[in-house]
Amino acid sequence: MEARSKKLGTTLGIAAFGVAALTMVVWFRQINQVDIPENRIVFAIFFISAVALAICAFVMRTRWFGAIPALVAIVIGGFFPFSMTISRQETGTTGIQVGQTMPQFKALDRNGDWFDSASLEGKPVLMKFFRGHW
Amino acid sequence: MVTVCTDSPKQIQKGHRQHRLGAVMLSDRDLTVTDAFGLRNLGFHSGPFGLEGLPVPTSILIGGDGKVLWVDQAENYQRRNGPEVLQAALHRYL
Repeated sequence: MEARSKKLGTTLGIAAFGVAALTMVVWFRQINQVDIPENRIVFAIFFISAVALAICAFVMRTRWFGAIPALVAIVIGGFFPFSMTISRQETGTTGIQVGQTMPQFKALDRNGDWFDSASLEGKPVLMKFFRGHW
Repeated sequence: MVTVCTDSPKQIQKGHRQHRLGAVMLSDRDLTVTDAFGLRNLGFHSGPFGLEGLPVPTSILIGGDGKVLWVDQAENYQRRNGPEVLQAALHRYL
């Protein structure tokens, strides 16, 4: 009886890891494409399911090779709310507004040469600020 | 088009080769340009260690007279408007 319970626990631990890992892969792929859906309930359901499976694995006294994937699944599941929390951006009230004049600036370009915004005068410009780390 | 990010010129050169962008690509390691535009993210930043902050992803359309015509900003860096929003702004203002 106990052997069967451990076997089931181990299976649940491995399944928990599978669900968590697959959900994380989809999550990061969509982050990479800057296309995370506004409603993230589906992701939440999968991450919570993975954590629930991992907890069940421990309740069923999984073997060590089920415990390790279960622990990883719990860590991945915990990462989800953390990632949601840090994704919000705020500039307060300091951000540039429509109608204001573009500030003058100098910065290094990709060749390491100084670029002066004065060279943009008289031309329409699209400026894009990125988080970087290509 | 002018892009601004906190990467070093060397990193930007690599990204330029990878994405083949035809833009002036600027490095803003110390956030001088970002701060001039008031675009520093005041929330938690998840960028590389050693950086004191990151800009909030923002697109700004500036007219020939130097006045800002349009601003599009992401409240969440995991979600941004698609290219159709930018194209609509370009058609409307230029």
